[in-house]
Amino acid sequence: MTSNSAPKMTASRVNVFYGDKQAIRDVSIDVRQEDVTAFIGPSGCGKSTFLRTLNRMNDTIAGARVEGDIRLDGEDIYARAMDVVQLRARVGMVFQKPNPFPKSIFENVAYGPRIHGLARSKADLAQIVERSLVRAGLWGEVKDRLHDSGTALSGGQQQRLCIARAIAVDPEVILMDEPCSALDPIATARIEELIHELRGRYAIVIVTHNMQQAARVSQRTAFFHLGQLVEYGDTSDIFTNPREERTKDYITGRYG
Amino acid sequence: MSPLALVFLIAALALIGWVTARARALRFRAGTTQRFSSLPQHHGWFVVLCTLLPPLLFLAVWHFTSPALVTDAVLATPASAQLPPPGFDRAAVLSEARRLAEGSGYGAFHPLSEVLAPAYAAAQARFDWIATAAALLLAFAGGAFAFLQVRPAFSARTQVERVIMGLLLGASLIAILTTIGIVASLLFESARFFRIVPIGDFLLGTHWSPQVIDARDPGASLGAVPLFWGTFFIGAIIAMAVAIPLGLLSAIYLTQYARHTTRRWMKPMLEILAGVPTVVYGYFAALTVAPAVRDLGVAIGVRWASSESALAAGVVMGVMIIPFVSSMADDSLSAVPDSMRDGSLAMGATPSETIKKVLVPAALPGVVGGVLLAVSRAIGETMIVVMAASGVATLTLNPFASTTTVTKQIVDLLTGEAEFDSAKTLAAFALGLTLFVITLLLNVVALIVVRRYRESYE
Amino acid sequence: MNSAPPSPAAPVRTPTDWQSPAMQRRIRHRYAAERRFRWLGLGAVSLSAAFLVFLLATMIGQGANGFLETRIALPIDLRAAKVDVPPARLAGPGGDLALAGAGLEGAVDAAANAAFPQQGGAAVLSDGAWLRVRDAVKRDPSLLSRPATIDVPVATDIDVALKGDGTPESEAIVSALRPRLSKGLNLSFFSGADATDPTRAGIWGALKGSLFTMLVTLALAFPVGVLSALYLEEYAPRNRWTDLIEVSINNLAAVPSIIFGLLGLAVFLNTFHMPRSAALVGGLTLALMTMPVIVIAGRNAIKGVPPSIRDAARGLGASPIQVVFHHVLPLALPGILTGTIIGMARALGETAPLLMIGMRAFIAAPPDKLTDPATALPVQIFLWSDEVAKGFVEKTSAAIIVLLAFLLAMNGIAIYLRNRFETRW
Repeated sequence: MTSNSAPKMTASRVNVFYGDKQAIRDVSIDVRQEDVTAFIGPSGCGKSTFLRTLNRMNDTIAGARVEGDIRLDGEDIYARAMDVVQLRARVGMVFQKPNPFPKSIFENVAYGPRIHGLARSKADLAQIVERSLVRAGLWGEVKDRLHDSGTALSGGQQQRLCIARAIAVDPEVILMDEPCSALDPIATARIEELIHELRGRYAIVIVTHNMQQAARVSQRTAFFHLGQLVEYGDTSDIFTNPREERTKDYITGRYG
Repeated sequence: MSPLALVFLIAALALIGWVTARARALRFRAGTTQRFSSLPQHHGWFVVLCTLLPPLLFLAVWHFTSPALVTDAVLATPASAQLPPPGFDRAAVLSEARRLAEGSGYGAFHPLSEVLAPAYAAAQARFDWIATAAALLLAFAGGAFAFLQVRPAFSARTQVERVIMGLLLGASLIAILTTIGIVASLLFESARFFRIVPIGDFLLGTHWSPQVIDARDPGASLGAVPLFWGTFFIGAIIAMAVAIPLGLLSAIYLTQYARHTTRRWMKPMLEILAGVPTVVYGYFAALTVAPAVRDLGVAIGVRWASSESALAAGVVMGVMIIPFVSSMADDSLSAVPDSMRDGSLAMGATPSETIKKVLVPAALPGVVGGVLLAVSRAIGETMIVVMAASGVATLTLNPFASTTTVTKQIVDLLTGEAEFDSAKTLAAFALGLTLFVITLLLNVVALIVVRRYRESYE
Repeated sequence: MNSAPPSPAAPVRTPTDWQSPAMQRRIRHRYAAERRFRWLGLGAVSLSAAFLVFLLATMIGQGANGFLETRIALPIDLRAAKVDVPPARLAGPGGDLALAGAGLEGAVDAAANAAFPQQGGAAVLSDGAWLRVRDAVKRDPSLLSRPATIDVPVATDIDVALKGDGTPESEAIVSALRPRLSKGLNLSFFSGADATDPTRAGIWGALKGSLFTMLVTLALAFPVGVLSALYLEEYAPRNRWTDLIEVSINNLAAVPSIIFGLLGLAVFLNTFHMPRSAALVGGLTLALMTMPVIVIAGRNAIKGVPPSIRDAARGLGASPIQVVFHHVLPLALPGILTGTIIGMARALGETAPLLMIGMRAFIAAPPDKLTDPATALPVQIFLWSDEVAKGFVEKTSAAIIVLLAFLLAMNGIAIYLRNRFETRW
């Protein structure tokens, strides 16, 4: 499962503060293009906070401060020259709770291409929307009602719509922040299937508190605890042969 | 005895009742560990209520009935035989005699009233004594009855609480009474108006000049369309053209861009704008804005630039409404879940793209509801137009020309010296009714829109 | 596990080249739009703030002079003018009458005619100048027996001219008299009532009228508002009647104030025949207007008290009344008071309903009873703003400053209460 190509994103010695409180302590991690990387750990361990540093969504939180070095294809994303707008177009994000805009399904997906000017024509835009919905596995369900409101879909469909929305901008990395925690088991299975299909085309980072899910969808797993990265390695190793005692305790259900 | 002294005496009786009832209740509680449903002070309060309420109710009723009884008594005296037959003169003599008897008159205009004054004074004194005695008797009887109830098994608390509950219910009924009062008085006076002026002439007529009303056809000069237009023009068009962009943009800036500290002093400043009394805005409009607007009109070559222009009143009204629109928009924007904003930002949208394409569309129903409320407030606003708009009703599209509004006309119609029953004064109530109905509709629609919107994000 | 195959029509897409010149140009445009929008927002806030500053500056600029009066040193010899009142009578309550009867006003006019014959004589003085002499004599009876120079207020056109906005004639008078003129704080502005001469007009009458009106409003609206808020929030069963009450209150809060004036006119004056122009009727009318505000604020404050407090009290066997009056009401009181003060501030600034019930009459004496004819501060401002005499412009602005000071103080107290006692649950 491993490969030797250069990592898509690298984070080294990252610290995150909310005001005086330190939320992330000295975390270093590489994200590879061809893998699905899972962040696991008990609630409040900082895995979501860390995820949000990867596309600078922490910028929107007043008082949040990030130290350390995070690079996308070797470019420092916290450098002055880095443009957040471009960064976020390249590093897309899917949130915990499905958050479709109160617009039609078509407009939801077309939103990103429109603001970034990715479509050359109306037909081109329609094509992008269709392809994104196809890739998100939603096309068959919605192709006859593209102009219905996105909020009228079921929870699982809404989440796939959000994934389609993220794909439409043609990102290089997709961050998923517990994308299934608000969904029922069937919808969850559908999303996991989708992650399998998307793997390889995009580097995917998924935060989850469901260890089975991490084991099912990811190739690499990072275990966070109390704001620190405890262990990071191939998913099979982490789950069958953890090096750290704390990791072992967590995956055997001793706390969390 | 003066009414105040009487009330004090009754209150004193009540106080005595409280002390003795409490003491009695304390006595039967002493030396036992038995539990009682009421504390000693509950018994005390029960006695107080029984002492106070009956005489006060009696006095309230007496206040309205006794003048008639006194007059009857005076009419029964021999001196009253010389009174003129029932009518205006008779009433004048009687009221003069009453004033003399009370000592507030400055000498008699009618000699007969001086004859009747002693009879009046005597009757008044007699009835005052009757009232005093009856009130004290009621107080005493009520107190004694309540005092006898003070027994261990008697639940004074339940009784007291029942009275308090009645009081609470009564208080909340006042809101309904006020509404009924408004609707009834407007409807009643308007009905009288519409007996003089056909409702169609009033609502559809385009000529308004209440200064000269033709008695044969009063409807011809009381057509309210120019007023409706003026009100709409100033309140819903000019004022909103100022208030909606400024209010909405202010809200957007304060909620989305301003730093916490900036927001902390900028929001109260907008609230000060809302707290300035309308009479101050009116003065400002008339004194400073109106001449400036007229000069502007002249400078850009408007032929009919009035110093009482619709534009001056409307702009100042708009400024007054800014904080209102801004706070409604602020509420609506805050009600949009943060996940919408995050979702858009995470796609690489700039904040302004997020605001324009996601937040504002999502908040639109709330904003529209707020604007409807703002319009309702603007068209009901009185002082600015009274002081800055003109009294001449014209149907014009020119913002530099003079226009008048419904509220301005209500004030003008009712502050003249005309007698109350004329078509002119009654027209004010018809205008008031129209204004009431329109603002009510706007408010109801706005509240429904806003409520739907709130529910959609809950 | 088979996914739908990608639509065959879709060509393989090359990854977006963010560095391409076209894309870079686009991004620059987007950022420019961002900056423009931001400036637009800041501009809107600043414009609103500028309006406020401009309004306040205008009022203060014009009103500051309203607190000042121009005085002229008037040489007067009351002994020569034969104004003779025994000192014993001066001190008594009849002193004012005695001085008036002894021809003091004529003597003051004569002194002015003698002192400034070129400038119009007595026309230079304010109508109230002799009152100032009267007060001086009462303070110092020796003035009756010796020549003296007393500072008295000047007529309004001279006053206006000295303050910089006079007619050419009055400017000429001012330059001729300048050495005798001085400026001072106009105390009679705070103690007087309405008058036809702007130099004599004061706000005390209107302020007292406002005070009486507010007393009536508070005495009615506060208890009724709080009690109905308690009833609706704590006891009312959910049924059509309660809904009706709620709808009434919400709508009353949005009914234009002038409609309340029409109600007062039709019900209090024409049906109950209460006295016209009285503070009592004004207070009743404003109470009906303020009550819904208090009810709504009260309900929000009561709603803010967490149910756990009620449960705790109920668990100890407290009756519903005890739960509310011992626990809920005290905790909600700061919020209720804040709402009440804000409602009262609104009522204090309200003008239109008071016009409807006749509080716009010219009233030259402060009211002594609730049923006396009275006016109120905002109405006084309205009446003065309509005056033709130039001297009223600064009086109007000065009265506005006083009104704004009161409102600011009330709102300040409300904000203080909210910050001091607000509990976050």
